[in-house]
Amino acid sequence: MNQTLLFLIPLLPLCCAVVNMLFGMRLPRLVAETLAVCGVAAAFLLTVLFWGYADGAGTQATLGTWLVAGDTAITFALCFDALSAPMTLMVTGVATLIHFYAIGYMHDEEDYARFFALLNLFVFAMLAIVLADNLLVLFLGWEGVGLCSYGLIGFWYGESANARAGTKAFLVTRVGDVFLAAALLWLFALTGTLSIGAINAKAAAIPAEALLALTLLLLLGACGKSAQLPLMTWLADAMAGPTPVSALIHAATMVTAGVYLLCRLFPLVSLSAVGMAAIAAVGALTALYAATCALAQREIKRVLAYSTMSQVGYMFMAVGAGTVAGAMFHLLTHAFFKALLFMAAGCVIHLAGNENDLFRMGGLAKRGSRGVFWLFMAGAICLAGVPLTGGFFSKDGILLALFTHPDPLYRLFWGIGVLTALLTAIYTFRLLYLVFAGEPRGDAHPHELPQLMRWPLWPLAALGLAGGLLNLPPLLGGGEWLTHRLGTLAGRTLEVDHLTEMLLIALAVGLVLAGWALARWRYGRFQPLAEGRLGGFLLRGWNADAVVDLLVVRPFAAMARLCALGCDRALIDASLEALARQTSACGQRLRAMTNGRVSTYLSGFVWGFLLILGWLLLALVR
Amino acid sequence: MIVPFAHILILAAILFVMGLGCALARRNLIMILIGVEIMLNAAAVALVGGSAYWRQVDGQVFVVFLMAMTSAEVAISLAMVVYLRRRRGTLEADKFDGMHG
Repeated sequence: MNQTLLFLIPLLPLCCAVVNMLFGMRLPRLVAETLAVCGVAAAFLLTVLFWGYADGAGTQATLGTWLVAGDTAITFALCFDALSAPMTLMVTGVATLIHFYAIGYMHDEEDYARFFALLNLFVFAMLAIVLADNLLVLFLGWEGVGLCSYGLIGFWYGESANARAGTKAFLVTRVGDVFLAAALLWLFALTGTLSIGAINAKAAAIPAEALLALTLLLLLGACGKSAQLPLMTWLADAMAGPTPVSALIHAATMVTAGVYLLCRLFPLVSLSAVGMAAIAAVGALTALYAATCALAQREIKRVLAYSTMSQVGYMFMAVGAGTVAGAMFHLLTHAFFKALLFMAAGCVIHLAGNENDLFRMGGLAKRGSRGVFWLFMAGAICLAGVPLTGGFFSKDGILLALFTHPDPLYRLFWGIGVLTALLTAIYTFRLLYLVFAGEPRGDAHPHELPQLMRWPLWPLAALGLAGGLLNLPPLLGGGEWLTHRLGTLAGRTLEVDHLTEMLLIALAVGLVLAGWALARWRYGRFQPLAEGRLGGFLLRGWNADAVVDLLVVRPFAAMARLCALGCDRALIDASLEALARQTSACGQRLRAMTNGRVSTYLSGFVWGFLLILGWLLLALVR
Repeated sequence: MIVPFAHILILAAILFVMGLGCALARRNLIMILIGVEIMLNAAAVALVGGSAYWRQVDGQVFVVFLMAMTSAEVAISLAMVVYLRRRRGTLEADKFDGMHG
């Protein structure tokens, strides 16, 4: 087989997106939907089919040349290796299931062609990021993801809050993109190439200061897409979009892009110890911040959004601790159980009669379907890190990597990670208790659940629960398949004695139990409490929006006002207007002279004649 | 030449200035026209004097032209004066200010 066929993986979703964009509304609904699903499903099957290409050093393929400028040629090149292949498989697989779910979820949506076209385009953009062998192609996908997220979060743009959420996501991630673009240009200036492999190979030759700055720029770029501090405000508002979109953003596409970028450029990033510590610090702070916010949220999807932020923070910590395998492991398991949780949350909201508020749900275990309850439960225990689930192993691996890091600073990050794990267990069980336990508190009537909204959840639940098998530690008889698969790309190998490992596992188990006990004690029976000061503070995400408003939006608006009123209005416009007024006044005065009387003209004539005569006489005398 | 050329020029200059003064100072259209005629005749006097002084016939030819032109001009302008008088009922030059800006 020709390796250029690998390009079919990203191009099939793109083709289906284009067809749906151009003809979607003319096609019968079933055809448009089938097309959207088939594009992604075919990409998934092709990834499985081409799996062998990822062996060893992987396969590079080039489709054609994009840009030529002097000696530099940017090619459409992709790289199908041990890092991108599992990621591609996850993206296409999860996206396929989400597409199926979306058909059920959007079954009475009028504007289905736009939705499915954007969904397919989203997958294409993410695949471009994952498979790119060239940073410029990666950047293309990076921007494409931003564009599609804008279109999908603001999908129901009729309500201005939704449209604002889309704009917010677009603008905030764009701030990160600027840093990424700066890093790209700088890398190009330093190495003369944008090929990822070449940059990683030449990274050792880059001076240390530039390397640190580059790492920080890449980190900020990744922060924008992955919703890490300080560019995290968009993710919670991104819940304005339809639920399949949330699932796609949180699991398969968008937020994992930042982690993947750092993993992809890990040989470069890992050379700067300070940069690595910064990555871990950002991850740790975000994980803690988002977990505390999730404790107080009232909307079911916002809890999940903050939990995503927190879990992506874990992935950043893993990259900072030098274990790409750990980050990718958590990325994969998180993708499975978070997609599951979001889609199950969509079912829950459906069953509760479009009720978003946790405090008005309750009792769904009795009223709703048992299937949805168990599915949500499966996702939740993965998120909480209940032993033997996928989330438990991946989170444990990250904490282990933090604990065994030689730098003592990482012990602090480990402490934050452990605290966050406890908080995660608390808010996850709080969510479960509020949604499912007790008596129904809302009065809405449950909606019928389409079959298509049920069955895509089962494979995800299986994957989430069994996700630990991907990288089972040797202590429990596992072979660390993912680490071996990644080979040289896996980062630091962890040298740790079994006793420490056992103790850490025991600690993790203890944390989950403690979290469960706390949540049961507080939320086991629903007690409506007045929202305290702290609760409100956490509910508003530590007032992050107000802080951004104060630090960025208001000074910017003030500067704009200064430019508009002070500079433009008072300086430029006023001086021009004064000039115009003077000219006009001159004209008025001149106008008075032409009074239409012959005698005036005659005397002017004579005076002029005398002037010329006098001048001539003077010239003559001289 | 019996009369010195300078005297002729002085006469022409005096006539011209008087005509100019008449044209500028008077407000009646007919008086302005008379002033213009006097200025033209001053020019004609200067031309004839010059023609006699340099013994060239060109100046006298010019004067003949000037007379023809002047009579035509007077014919047209008097016709217009009559027309304006009929139409506006006045010959006051300052009343005709339809060209004011």
